[in-house]
Amino acid sequence: MLAAKKKPAAKKTPAKKKAAPKAKKAAAKAKKAPAKKAPARKAKGPSEKTLKELHLKMVRIRRFEESAGKMMEDGKIPGALHLYVGQEAVAAGVMQHLSNQDWITSTHRGHGHLVAKGGEFKPMFAELFGRATGYCKGKGGSMHISSMDLGMLGANGIVGGGPPIAMGAAFSNKFRRNKNVAVAFFGDGASNEGSVHEAANMAALYKLPCIFVCENNGYGEYTAQSRHQAIVDVADRAAGYGMPGVICDGMDVMAVYEAAGEAIERARKGGGPTLLECKTYRYYDHVGVRGMGLNYRTDEEIEAWKKKDAIEGFEKRLKQLGVMTEKQIKTVHAAVEKDVDEAIEFANESPYPEADTLLDNVYNEKGA
Amino acid sequence: MTAQTIGIVANPASGKDVRRLVARASVFDNREKCAIIRRALSGAINAGADQFAYLDDSHNIAGGALEELEELGEEFDAITVPCVQTSSVLDTIHGARALQEHDPIVTLILGGDGTSRAFVKGWRDCVLLPLSTGTNNVFPRMSEATVAGAALGAVATGAVTLEEATIAVKMIDVEIEGEEPDIALIDAVVTRDQFIGSRALLDGDAIERIFLTRAEPTAVGMTSVGGLIHPLPEEEDAGLHMTLGSRGKHRVHAPIAPGMYETLRLKKIEVLGFDDVIEFEGPCVLAFDGEREREIQAGQMVRMRVGRSGPSVLDIHKTMHLAACRKVFN
Amino acid sequence: MSEAQKPAVRELPYVMAINEGIREVLREQEDAFIAGEDVAIAGSVYGYCAGLLDEFGEDRVVDTPISEKGIMGLGVGASATGCRPIIDLMFMDFIGECMDEIANQMAKMRFMFGGKATLPVTVLTMGGAGGSLAAQHSQSLEAWLAHLPGMKVCMPSDAYDAKGMIISACRDDNPVFVVLNKASLAMTMEVPEGPYEVPLGEACVRRQGSNLTIVAFGRMVHEAMAAADQLKDLGIDAEVIDARSVQPFDTETVVKSIKKTHRALVIHEAVKFGGIGGEITAQIQEEAFDYLDAPVMRVAAPFSPVPFSPALEQVYIPNADSIIAKVKETLEL
Repeated sequence: MLAAKKKPAAKKTPAKKKAAPKAKKAAAKAKKAPAKKAPARKAKGPSEKTLKELHLKMVRIRRFEESAGKMMEDGKIPGALHLYVGQEAVAAGVMQHLSNQDWITSTHRGHGHLVAKGGEFKPMFAELFGRATGYCKGKGGSMHISSMDLGMLGANGIVGGGPPIAMGAAFSNKFRRNKNVAVAFFGDGASNEGSVHEAANMAALYKLPCIFVCENNGYGEYTAQSRHQAIVDVADRAAGYGMPGVICDGMDVMAVYEAAGEAIERARKGGGPTLLECKTYRYYDHVGVRGMGLNYRTDEEIEAWKKKDAIEGFEKRLKQLGVMTEKQIKTVHAAVEKDVDEAIEFANESPYPEADTLLDNVYNEKGA
Repeated sequence: MTAQTIGIVANPASGKDVRRLVARASVFDNREKCAIIRRALSGAINAGADQFAYLDDSHNIAGGALEELEELGEEFDAITVPCVQTSSVLDTIHGARALQEHDPIVTLILGGDGTSRAFVKGWRDCVLLPLSTGTNNVFPRMSEATVAGAALGAVATGAVTLEEATIAVKMIDVEIEGEEPDIALIDAVVTRDQFIGSRALLDGDAIERIFLTRAEPTAVGMTSVGGLIHPLPEEEDAGLHMTLGSRGKHRVHAPIAPGMYETLRLKKIEVLGFDDVIEFEGPCVLAFDGEREREIQAGQMVRMRVGRSGPSVLDIHKTMHLAACRKVFN
Repeated sequence: MSEAQKPAVRELPYVMAINEGIREVLREQEDAFIAGEDVAIAGSVYGYCAGLLDEFGEDRVVDTPISEKGIMGLGVGASATGCRPIIDLMFMDFIGECMDEIANQMAKMRFMFGGKATLPVTVLTMGGAGGSLAAQHSQSLEAWLAHLPGMKVCMPSDAYDAKGMIISACRDDNPVFVVLNKASLAMTMEVPEGPYEVPLGEACVRRQGSNLTIVAFGRMVHEAMAAADQLKDLGIDAEVIDARSVQPFDTETVVKSIKKTHRALVIHEAVKFGGIGGEITAQIQEEAFDYLDAPVMRVAAPFSPVPFSPALEQVYIPNADSIIAKVKETLEL
């Protein structure tokens, strides 16, 4: 089929056959002329628009979470708050491939997923503040924040609560023969929950358009992964479910974007589920900013991971590629900051839910 | 008599990237890697080895195998060589430097092409025996670990000498303007990608140039692109340089990843002598031994040269034949 | 409706009434499917899914692995995203395997999301003792479910109600548990063809009476009716109410009856301590204390796991005799 016999058109100085082991490169001369001035090679890969959106998603998550953490410390946010700072590349890289018709289930660390799915700051902050104008009218809070309109089936206070629901949503997609997918985010801690195994098995069995994204941040609450499972790569379990298991660098938004893109495309085409493990890290504690001061990981470890910061690394590369200038990046941050400030003001001024709304929505009254 | 030290490196990350999804690459779970090391160690110990230095990988693959053997009552000394754990290629590079200090006569490397490359990057003139667990395995050999281990043992005891049993391999030296140089053992590829991203080379369209130390028609990955149109064996003192383009007159239908064929069009195929240097400039992304590794900026110069500057590799076949002749196991 | 339009009525066992209920739902709701262990090829271990696979196909009659968390999660996820799943949970005892999906996800999702999610999911499950299936396949755990805000729970006592309640449950836009009873499967009665509803949350007076009110759940309705027949011979005229729904509970019907009879007895198969009877008793004293001539009494299983031996199981399950004894106590006879 192929003309493999054709002699190559190499007419350069015949290679000297004298054994020149370990020749040092110093002696070598540039013999060949460099490629003529590159005729503006067209780069492959995502468009500038996509790159900017990925960047914006990560910045929005970071700014939202940093501010939420501060609001919590200031006593403005009641209850528990699990911050997503550090893991932004995962939410951004995956969500870039999803529309509002695609479903996701999230975790207790769920704000980042909602922001990346298109969540607006005003109803988000209002929800965290427990106000009537929140996404859940103040009934869910941080751990149950959701938006059905955006295809976000809720943060979840139960570790391992999301995957069976995502599997059900994927079943729904397949049942109704649309091309939508469902993505279940979960952590290394949740990977030990029976619910995750059951959901993964069923998704593979029914070949559902379901992507299991394990955000392995090395800790299940305050317990290091090495103390909660005998494996290091959750992706190893994929073979047991009968689906592909893939690991990618969860601190590199392009690594996540590419890997998730392949998994999602495969699912849309009817190829079934994938287990995608993203190695990542949370900068803050399991709960809150400084957490409970428990001694379970070192500052050196945290600093080492921060050196791989997803946003800093991506911004550096965007500047190198000429996609964004430093000034443009600063403008993005400033605009997001402004959004945050306005949203906090909105939340602050929003009313608390009226006492007589307490029993609303326990049941769907009209359906009875 | 105490044998010389055998180094052990297992790459926990090999065999798990996106090629399991896009191509049809195999998953290599870490329990299996641990079992492979365990078998290799059995081979080595039964051939008389008793000194090991292993890199403390984040998954305790080598350490776990040694612990198992210790529990079985095998007698040996094992040194744990601590190494940074960043879950990146840096672990193996730094690990190679750390291991070098313990002066192993030969090092067993469990992983794919990328693992061996990273190790050599950290320790240029090492002697190694690469065993395959990765994806594009041109460099490591498929061999039963028990036998590979026995070969290691035969060398460690001095029954077979390095001079008799190793081969110096070719390598591509990569100079990058203003940055650390780099290397590739099998292939260096210039792509129009903008990012390292998920690392794997999956888009034949994006490839501009391929440099090969060997062009093997019996392998997968970039080496097959050359191998199926202009085979070039490891023994020959030359490299291959191919430039790609949509109007290229040569067409090659090659498995650029396991189970994944693409038709590439080549504009030019040239054999490189060891003195030849190919120079070009960015922007581009460079991939080495199957994985995107370096992002090159616009105008930044890159120079590539093929030479026999690589590590020495232990020939299992030769070693075992010599060992058998010398009645090492009798 | 006119005589001519009235659906045909024939004798049907409870098990086939369940089958017809599911069948009617799958016919009228194109987004409905049934999923559970052994429901498709095998037609369910009780036989009530027989023929469904042939009529509706594999997409809508779905065999699942033995994975209750997965099955219940399927119900949650699919119902929240536009389907109307019927989830078959082979034994009620298995809710322990999937209580998170039931209690923390299914029941609460709508509330937690501020009313923006709707979960039209129906769970069919089999409760009750009587077949020597021992402690893990015989329980009546309806009180666990009724304790969950957001969940509806009904217990059809006969074939007519089983069919009608399955249809009502599946037409309802809330999560509903239909707790069936395995000892009633062969019980036959007249059941109309075609779809009809038995409303959720409405109790039914099965027997009019004046001396006391017996409120019974599920299969205990039949024991109460048998007891009432025997009590008649003793000159005691008992009113029997089939509660039918546990959540919401029809307090009104019960209170109305007590205002007439002034005495009440609550019967269920679940253990007495923490059983739904305690709640009903409390509601009666809250709503009708002044009408009571005697303390509200309960007949329920003793506080023990369900025993295996038929000899013990017989003692364990409340029956007409134990009801009669308690009625006499209530009436101070």
